[in-house]
Amino acid sequence: MAQDFPLIKFEHVSKIYQTGEIAVRALDDVSFTIHRGEFVAIIGQSGSGKTTLLDILGCLNRPTEGEYQLNGQSIQTLSDHALTTIRNQQIGFIFQTFQLLPRKTALENVQLPLLYAGLSRVDQRERALELLTRVGLDNRTHHYTNQLSGGQQQRVAIARALANKPDIVLADEPTGNLDSQSGQDILTMFHQLHAQGQTIIMITHDQDIASQAQRRISVADGKIVSDDQVMTSHPLMV
Amino acid sequence: MVLGSIILDSFKNLSANLLRSALTMLGVIIGVASVISMIAIVEGGQIWLVSSIERLGTNLLFVWTKSLTIEEQRMFQGRSTGLNYDDYQAIRQKFPQITVVPRLELDLQIKAGDRHFSGEVTGTSPEYSKARNFRAAQGRFLLKEDIDEWKRIAVLGKEIAERLFGSESAIGKEVHIGNQRLTVVGVMQPKGIIYGSNYDEMIFVPITTALRRFQGTDKLRSMLIHVPQRETMDRVMEQLHAFLIQRHDGVDDIRVRNQGDFLNAVDRTIWTFRIVLGGIAIVALVVGGIGIMNIMLVTVTERTREIGLRKAIGARRQDILLQFLIESVTLSVVGGLIGVFVGIGVAYGFGDFVAQAMPGGGDWGAVIRPSAIVIAFSFAMVVGVFFGLYPAIKASKLDPAEALRYQ
Ligand SMILES: Nc1ncnc2c1ncn2[C@@H]1O[C@H](COP(=O)(O)OP(=O)(O)OP(=O)(O)O)[C@@H](O)[C@H]1O
Ligand SMILES: [Mg+2]
Repeated sequence: MAQDFPLIKFEHVSKIYQTGEIAVRALDDVSFTIHRGEFVAIIGQSGSGKTTLLDILGCLNRPTEGEYQLNGQSIQTLSDHALTTIRNQQIGFIFQTFQLLPRKTALENVQLPLLYAGLSRVDQRERALELLTRVGLDNRTHHYTNQLSGGQQQRVAIARALANKPDIVLADEPTGNLDSQSGQDILTMFHQLHAQGQTIIMITHDQDIASQAQRRISVADGKIVSDDQVMTSHPLMV
Repeated sequence: MVLGSIILDSFKNLSANLLRSALTMLGVIIGVASVISMIAIVEGGQIWLVSSIERLGTNLLFVWTKSLTIEEQRMFQGRSTGLNYDDYQAIRQKFPQITVVPRLELDLQIKAGDRHFSGEVTGTSPEYSKARNFRAAQGRFLLKEDIDEWKRIAVLGKEIAERLFGSESAIGKEVHIGNQRLTVVGVMQPKGIIYGSNYDEMIFVPITTALRRFQGTDKLRSMLIHVPQRETMDRVMEQLHAFLIQRHDGVDDIRVRNQGDFLNAVDRTIWTFRIVLGGIAIVALVVGGIGIMNIMLVTVTERTREIGLRKAIGARRQDILLQFLIESVTLSVVGGLIGVFVGIGVAYGFGDFVAQAMPGGGDWGAVIRPSAIVIAFSFAMVVGVFFGLYPAIKASKLDPAEALRYQ
């Protein structure tokens, strides 16, 4: 699909949080573009504005200033309803704390975005089973989330993120709550997805993990301080 | 399609906090149960009262001496002493088409053999039997010559006869009433309690015997009048009233009422009951609704992150609104259903209790109408929607980014 506009385009984006008298400039005049198929790590210290950036990228929040174009469309002017549809169809979220619903099985959790997309129950089920098989959990579909290990829970979350074939997978510290082996399993899965052409944006404060991405954007105090292409491809990616 | 899974979810969520859900529903259960049982009890009471009044006979007028205020007593002194035996006879002459029954109740000592007690004795005339639809089962009721000759005879109610003479026949036996010796000439058929008076405990004597041998004056307590044609009742009432005022030297010291007035009074009383009890029940339901709102607000706060997540992956505002609204409605509907059964149980239980506790209340029973159940149940649903709306709106308005990071 050769399109003449990038997937993501930030132009002088700022986000100001107003808490009473104090205004926090969590993002300060940020501009960058991300193209389809990129695997980007956003790295920075705590409080540097990574999550704020991810919220805007994921259309959970709007920029205070500047312009964000997703797929060539400016999102500032869109209604909440339109943003919800974008989140459902074009974005797949993965969180540090997994954010799976308790009292629901792995299958039901993966079905959730499909439910909101309006799929029939049969289609939801079929698609969710396919996704869970893809993340290696076809033998855990009817387990409740509290019956799964952290690594398994994060794989359920990945399956859920991929449910509606999103343009972008947004991951906020996806390995932050996992031991190094499970964390590496997740990253391996990201590499596989990337190899299949999935755009992935991953937040981390861990240099080693960031170095596994193809491109590294460093933020500090709400500003981009560096933006490097890591040319060496990962050993798994041959 | 979404609705089915939302309803299923709400049952799951509510059963995950079973005790909390049950306590929350308690308010609705009590509210619905009280609406249903109160309506049933009042309804039963009304039917019982109306049928009691109708059993007294139909097309009846009641005439009695009205109590006067002190000023009125002073004003009318020496002009009238209220209803008396001459009034009774004058009415009989003036209105030959109607049946007039004089009445005088006296509390007297009653004795037969070694059994004695104090009881009420009713002086009346032969027409009483027809007007009240109440006949002698053994022997006879009062006759004209009993009245003319102030005869020392008595007709006993069924229970009185049993109390005085046991299983022996009372007919021909002697009974001491006050300072008089009377012969029992009849025993009445059973009739039970109507409108507070037990007809089976009555003792009937000729009106003249009651006036002249017991009371010593000709003052009557009241008169019962049977009008053969219903259409003429209002006219007869007016004429009768005017006639008595004229006889009493212009003093209006009597009251004339017809049975319909009593039925209307019962109706008004019942409506007052309905409004008061209905009000209490509605307050209970509203309190139940506030309980639901309270717990739903807690639930929304507890599940802030879930709401954030759902919104992040594509739940629209109306999806979240519907989800929480259905949860509160589930609470109120399940509570309402339980309340319906509890209410029916309470109504029948109370009905049985009244039937057993009240002598003659045997034919009393709660009356549960389907409409009462529908009303109570719909009200519970409305309460669930009304009090669930605010928490649901609150949930639907949460900012997804903030909700996701809520700790
Ligand atoms: N809702 C908010 N209201 C006010 N200030 C906020 C809000 N969210 C974030 N901030 C502030 O914005 C700045 C950036 O926060 P952000 O959460 O984006 O940092 P982060 O890089 O994700 O940090 P961490 O690595 O700890 O998650 C911080 O100073 C934070 O205090
Ligand atoms: Mg963060």
